[in-house]
Amino acid sequence: MSATETTTASGAQAGQAERRLTTARAISEGIAQEMERDPGVVVLGEDVGAYGGIFGATGGLLERFGPDRVLDTPISETAFIGLGIGAAVEGMRPIVELMFADFFGVCMDQIYNHMAKIHFESGGNVKVPMVLTMAAGGGYSDAEQHSQCLWGTFAHLPGMKVVVPSNPADAKGLMISAIRDDNPVVYVFHKGVMGLPWMAKNPRSIAHVPEEPYETPIGKATVAREGTDATVITLSLSVHHTLDVADKMAKQDGVDLEVIDLRSLVPLDTETVLSSVARTGRLLVVDEDYQSFGLSGEIAARVAETDPGLLRAPLRRVAVPDVPIPYARSLEQAVLPTPERIEAAVHDLLKA
Amino acid sequence: MADVLFPRLSEAEPDAEGVLATWFVSDGDQVASGQLLAEVMVEKVSGEVLAPAAGLVRLLVGEDQTARQGEVIARVS
Amino acid sequence: MDDKTRLDLYRVMVLSRTFEEAILREYHADKKPAFDIGAGLVPGEMHLSAGQEPVAAGVCAHLRPEDAVTATHRPHHVAIAHGVDLEKMTAEIFGREGGLGRGRGGHMHLFDPNVHFSCSGIIAEGLPPALGQAFAFKRGEGDRVAVAFTGEGAANQGAFHESLNLAALWKLPVVFVVEDNDWAISVPRDVSTAIPSNADRAAAYGMPGQRIADNDVDAIYTAAGDAVARARAGEGPTLLEIHTLRLWGHFEGDPQAYRPELADVPGKDPIPAYEQRLTEAGVLDAAAAQAIKDEASARVEKAIAFAKASPVPAPETALQYVFT
Repeated sequence: MSATETTTASGAQAGQAERRLTTARAISEGIAQEMERDPGVVVLGEDVGAYGGIFGATGGLLERFGPDRVLDTPISETAFIGLGIGAAVEGMRPIVELMFADFFGVCMDQIYNHMAKIHFESGGNVKVPMVLTMAAGGGYSDAEQHSQCLWGTFAHLPGMKVVVPSNPADAKGLMISAIRDDNPVVYVFHKGVMGLPWMAKNPRSIAHVPEEPYETPIGKATVAREGTDATVITLSLSVHHTLDVADKMAKQDGVDLEVIDLRSLVPLDTETVLSSVARTGRLLVVDEDYQSFGLSGEIAARVAETDPGLLRAPLRRVAVPDVPIPYARSLEQAVLPTPERIEAAVHDLLKA
Repeated sequence: MADVLFPRLSEAEPDAEGVLATWFVSDGDQVASGQLLAEVMVEKVSGEVLAPAAGLVRLLVGEDQTARQGEVIARVS
Repeated sequence: MDDKTRLDLYRVMVLSRTFEEAILREYHADKKPAFDIGAGLVPGEMHLSAGQEPVAAGVCAHLRPEDAVTATHRPHHVAIAHGVDLEKMTAEIFGREGGLGRGRGGHMHLFDPNVHFSCSGIIAEGLPPALGQAFAFKRGEGDRVAVAFTGEGAANQGAFHESLNLAALWKLPVVFVVEDNDWAISVPRDVSTAIPSNADRAAAYGMPGQRIADNDVDAIYTAAGDAVARARAGEGPTLLEIHTLRLWGHFEGDPQAYRPELADVPGKDPIPAYEQRLTEAGVLDAAAAQAIKDEASARVEKAIAFAKASPVPAPETALQYVFT
């Protein structure tokens, strides 16, 4: 953020009244504004209606748009995700919520073999303008089957865009972009960034959100913090933890970190990653998904295959170390990318 | 001057305490009538707090602090 | 049923069979001396529908181009009966730029948006998208319907059960057609399914169900007419199970060693049987039948020629069409 921009700490531009929302409210506001604009936008999923979505992503939508446009589905992910696909093929713009990313196992065929492939298989003749939303992430003791991130898995399979907002303003803008995109977009929201009143939250989960509809570009990362000593590539809740660590290390250790919030995995903003690493020469990837065969390895590969000489030291990554996420808090906190692990990794990176 | 009250979310337990989970405004902000000020929790139920009038808001309870249902948590003048 | 309808059914079945025989010929022509699945002008798996023509003809006769159809890994008869562009379909089977999917999809992934036709190689997974098309139609103008084809083996897949429940629950204008050709590759129905007929499952999901025996195109036509009319009238889904016949193997190259009555199979071919019935009814004579066959041949050979003349996709274009 440049010193000449007059922006409040929460992100509002000078002269604009600050309007703070949680990420959850920002998402449902983005959906609501698109539903006003386009009658083809409908919302489908378990508990998306009266409950407002288990993690608040669809709050207020049923009251505003009625049961004809906000539909509670049976527990039939294959059927209702496939229904979304067919509706999209016929010109609608459905938003389908998979309650937990962890549940993709029961419906993955419709997602990766149909939603993601129909456009390609048809030589571009059939479009699937659908948004598949899902809650992800741990840290509140929901254990192995309800705490995963899994964005690396979706990003690995061709044919679907993958976006992962970290904050309220991006959450709204990316939702609007995702709805307007003619491609299938997987929209992953970490439960810990939603600003829910019933879950511990980082203060950055509540921030300024412009009132009017706007698009945040898919495929563009953002520099969450400019710095010179090392580049930290991260996303989602880990952006907040990393910024907290950056603030602390700036004061205590005189370390100046550059923090890149990826925001999208597909397409991946390789250019922003490379230009930052070129300047700092040191790379840390913080990713709450599983470590091996995923996002952090992808970032490393893109740097190495462009120019390994960019790095003055071996890169480091902080991710979930290839273990199912344990229930006991002491164990869960040992495997998630906590601020403590991030700080230790930065020290390690700078020492080398 | 208008009082902003902690909502009564539990009729069964009118004296139950709740938590002021999230302030959407800061002390001293200008607010509009009906503007979303806060989100609160009493046990499992969450509720919204809207500004009863337009004006300057003074916050009397901190975020994550407990408060009683019906308690004055802010004032708008 | 009037004569014209029966003649049209015969014509569609002849066209479909002629097409499959031509594909059979083209598929095997350059895979000699021993079968090599990846060789030749039409490589890959090939699932031909010979014997199952009555299902496609009888059902699709009730559909308009704006109705949707989803089909399976064995799609050609359904595609032809629903009016998919024959030339572009053939070119797609040959993997050419002039194909429905510009050669990207091949025989199991045919998409013709002009007639809202699609198919998929994943068992039972064509049902959920058909629900979505029906959902969109129900909200729009008119009385369009979606028809989802699947097999008797597929009726044990989760997607089948989820789709039936949701279609009935939301009263979607969809017809489910189960082609029971006795064999899920090499597994007969009584080894895979706990009950004698999938039509009996319909009631469990809140919709009417009917089993049509004997691969009888007239009976299929009648039952399908009722089911499609119900859907158009807003009365919701129907399940039809049609006992049909897989004349050839599951896929080309299948030696069918598991099939004990193989020698009896050609004698049950539905098309000569229907031709005989129509002849006995005075609807058809030898000359008219021959004219229909000749016309089918001409159309099919023209499509094959179109396919062979269509360019092979350039390797430099391999990464296109992932996103729009």
